[in-house]
Amino acid sequence: MAKYIEKISNALKIVKHNGGIVGTYLGLYRRDDFKWGTFVGEDKYGNKYYKNDYFFMGKSRWVEYPLSVGHDYDASQIPSEWHRWLQYIADEPPTQLPLPHRPWMADHTENFSGTSREYVPYSTTRPKVEAWVPPKK
Amino acid sequence: MATRSVQQGLKQVKPMLSVDRTEARRRVLNLYKAWYRQVPYVVKDFHIPVTVEQGRAKVREMFLKNKHVSDVRAIDMLVIKGQMDLVETANIWKQRNHIMMFFQDTVNPKPADFLSKFYEGQD
Amino acid sequence: MLRLWPLRQISRLQNAISLTQQACNKSSVPAPSPELVEVFVDDKQVFVEPGTTVLQACAAAGVEIPRFCYHDRLSIAGNCRMCLVEVERSAKPVASCAMPVMKGMKVKTDSPVTRKAREGVMEFLLVNHPLDCPICDQGGECDLQDQSMAFGSDRSRFTDNAFTGKRAVEDKNIGPLIKTIMTRCIHCTRCIRFASEIAGVEDLGTSGRGTEMQVGTYVEKMFKSEMSGNVIDLCPVGALTSKPYAFTARPWENRRIESVDVMDAVGSNIVVCMRSNEVMRILPRLNEDINEEWISDKTRFAYDGLKRQRLTTPFVRSGTGELVPADWESAFVKIAERVNATDGDLIAGVAGGQVDAEALIALKDMLNRLGSESVCTEEKFPMTNSGIDFRSNYIMNTTISGIEESDLILLVGTNPRLEAPLVNARIRKTWINSDLCVTVLGAPVDLSYDYQYLGDSFELLTDILNDKHPLAKGLKEASKPMIILGSAVLQGENSGAILDTVKSLSEKLRAGSEQEDWKVFNVLHTQANQVGALDLGYAPGVDAMKGSKPSVLFLLGADAGTVKREDLYENALVVYIGHHGDYGAQIADVVLPAAAYTEKDAVYVNTEGRAQIGRQAVSPPGMARQDWKIIRALSEMLGVTLPYDKLSDVRARLGEVSPTFNHAGQVEDAGFFNLSDSATVPRKESRPAVQPLSPALLSLRDFYMTDPISRASLTMAKCVQAVDDAEKNPYSKPEQS
Repeated sequence: MAKYIEKISNALKIVKHNGGIVGTYLGLYRRDDFKWGTFVGEDKYGNKYYKNDYFFMGKSRWVEYPLSVGHDYDASQIPSEWHRWLQYIADEPPTQLPLPHRPWMADHTENFSGTSREYVPYSTTRPKVEAWVPPKK
Repeated sequence: MATRSVQQGLKQVKPMLSVDRTEARRRVLNLYKAWYRQVPYVVKDFHIPVTVEQGRAKVREMFLKNKHVSDVRAIDMLVIKGQMDLVETANIWKQRNHIMMFFQDTVNPKPADFLSKFYEGQD
Repeated sequence: MLRLWPLRQISRLQNAISLTQQACNKSSVPAPSPELVEVFVDDKQVFVEPGTTVLQACAAAGVEIPRFCYHDRLSIAGNCRMCLVEVERSAKPVASCAMPVMKGMKVKTDSPVTRKAREGVMEFLLVNHPLDCPICDQGGECDLQDQSMAFGSDRSRFTDNAFTGKRAVEDKNIGPLIKTIMTRCIHCTRCIRFASEIAGVEDLGTSGRGTEMQVGTYVEKMFKSEMSGNVIDLCPVGALTSKPYAFTARPWENRRIESVDVMDAVGSNIVVCMRSNEVMRILPRLNEDINEEWISDKTRFAYDGLKRQRLTTPFVRSGTGELVPADWESAFVKIAERVNATDGDLIAGVAGGQVDAEALIALKDMLNRLGSESVCTEEKFPMTNSGIDFRSNYIMNTTISGIEESDLILLVGTNPRLEAPLVNARIRKTWINSDLCVTVLGAPVDLSYDYQYLGDSFELLTDILNDKHPLAKGLKEASKPMIILGSAVLQGENSGAILDTVKSLSEKLRAGSEQEDWKVFNVLHTQANQVGALDLGYAPGVDAMKGSKPSVLFLLGADAGTVKREDLYENALVVYIGHHGDYGAQIADVVLPAAAYTEKDAVYVNTEGRAQIGRQAVSPPGMARQDWKIIRALSEMLGVTLPYDKLSDVRARLGEVSPTFNHAGQVEDAGFFNLSDSATVPRKESRPAVQPLSPALLSLRDFYMTDPISRASLTMAKCVQAVDDAEKNPYSKPEQS
């Protein structure tokens, strides 16, 4: 009996977490999963991080991507300091233990492969023959 | 009689597989049937943009390409090579592009006249 | 040749017979002629002229003596001591390069004494020579490297080097062409002797003695010579190396392609060193008849111009008046549309000076098939009297090697030092070795040898012709006089008068001369293939073409700027076929990219009338094609297909037009002097005014940039800059003294 009660209470928590039945249903499209948890933090891109130790390690920390990216989300949109927490490299999220920012650290960029902004390798060697460019009038 | 057998003996060469044309023909037909039966699996396994009918037509075309071969040993050799190809295909040792190579001629013919050679930049 | 073989067999037979007879007579050696000296080299008997050196005698016996300072074409210094050999009954080993042979001398080139002497000399040379072969540009072609391997000791005795160090010498800045690493210098003084003897520039010398000895220019200044690059080849070590070539390639990586130079009309023989489809450097190739073993700096260093400002794709002028890249077919279609709508008379072709004979004949054949006879060269040549009808009127009849026989040279309106440095080097060589007398009508420029300057007025020439000038007597008395007429003075107005006067003068001398086959008259051209173009029937000069106001104009490598838009029909279509984005490409409506001289197998005819084949070293860049192929393909698009598909077909056609092209490498003599003279109609004395007989190139600054390739070259630009800076240098002697 207690098993069923727990199931029902979990279901209620899920519905509450997702903001209603409709939200749960729509969330399924983006996350393929039912989860509830405590809000840990949000990064500057709008990714929201949650944790719930009710789930087994590996499933207990997750990210919900912002609606603005639609279905074009991927793991490279997570900045490295959150990646650190999300992948259990660190126990504390950057909200609790902010990492020092060094002047040489570059800003995070997502992987643009497959988009118009993707990196295309180019030759850095100088061409052997310099072609003539007609003078502009 | 004796001279003919001598002549025959001289003409006879070591057979590769088949001793006569009938046997060679049987081997060819067997190989053809095996390929014919394999085509649906090939289409499915390799996800190639080819229907089963087109695949079978291609198999037929490939066999008919060597229609003119009359030497029994040559036929046997071709059968052996066809068999090897079949095994490689059935075991998916080949890849998609290897299958598609049957369907597309990838080598463009070389230009022959001066003007097209000039455009191509070939001498 | 086939007919000759029985004769050769007979002569061989006679040889055999005489040999047998000699054997029977028990005299195994041929009887020496009395004036020869008998020398034994390693017990091998040789007979040499008296006065030859031991080193040359050894060479005659087939033994090569190691040497650093000795060079065939330079005076003997005898200071490197590498050529020491043992001579019997001599107390010490002798320096074979400086020792004349004596009767019955017994030379031992491989005896223990000789070997020890060589090892000792090599040891001394290496005391102060840095071991930087891995970073030295001479590595792989270094005489010191090779000879220390062959003749040096197999171990070192210098243990104190680590404490005392080696001698170090400050590097010198002698211009943008030659890199000096003077620590490597072994004081062979080849460069000094070259500068003072061949180049005629007393710039280099030594200062100090012993360890303090240094080779240099005393005060820092540029080595101002038009053939300075040759000291790079002469330097047996890596002390003088090429600045543009520094650290770019190793000799064993390069492939060497034998070719012909097009920077001047001499047609110097060159070797193009190529690596991975790129010209790495250009070296001279031995040809005793033309350039001996020297080349000019423009020939040697202008190759980087082949990599800049290149046309790599066809261009078509768009509606907005800009040249936009196109493909070959659309460029051809654009030309074909216009040509098909144009009358044959309104089509013309102009060829530049560096265009190869194949392209010239292809363009001429194509235009003739289109119904046009208007093909001309940019360079002018007077058409008065017999004009270019006789080949002898426009070539250098005595040939370059003929200069050495001459005893009086009259230079008319030419500065050979800058127009043809190797002709000038040949005159200087003759001037040094004989009592050659040089007189100059033109500008008082520095020719690196003494000459008698007459002036620059045309009247002097007529005076000489009419025996009013003292030189007329001198010319008459000379046994082999030469008159060299520069093509620069023929570019002006009324230049026909100059040509006529010089022609008549030389005809007078030739007719009065006792030398039967000595030809007096010479024209020194400045454009590489001008003679070839004239041989193929091109009209010299663009004036006649301008008169007809063509509406379609083909510019074949014509970059001298002789044709302007205003000279043409309104909205004329200008097609440029060439390799550099220079003047021609800028005024063109359609630009077709062609190959430069290192990128095609081509024939050039030098000023002597010698056809020479240049070989392809690298492939044309981008979409560029070989010139004659472009014209052949275009002719097909224009519906007048030329009947040749292969290079051999084009060469056969060239041979049909002129026999010059049938035997490459040889001078095709020109005759008919009497006839061409009789065709010269004496002109009235009332001559039109003629400009002074001044050559175009006056100072070294003008020498470096004369054609599209050298104008695109960075090295040549640096040279111009360096010459300008040298003018400001108070220690640098002004060039004209």
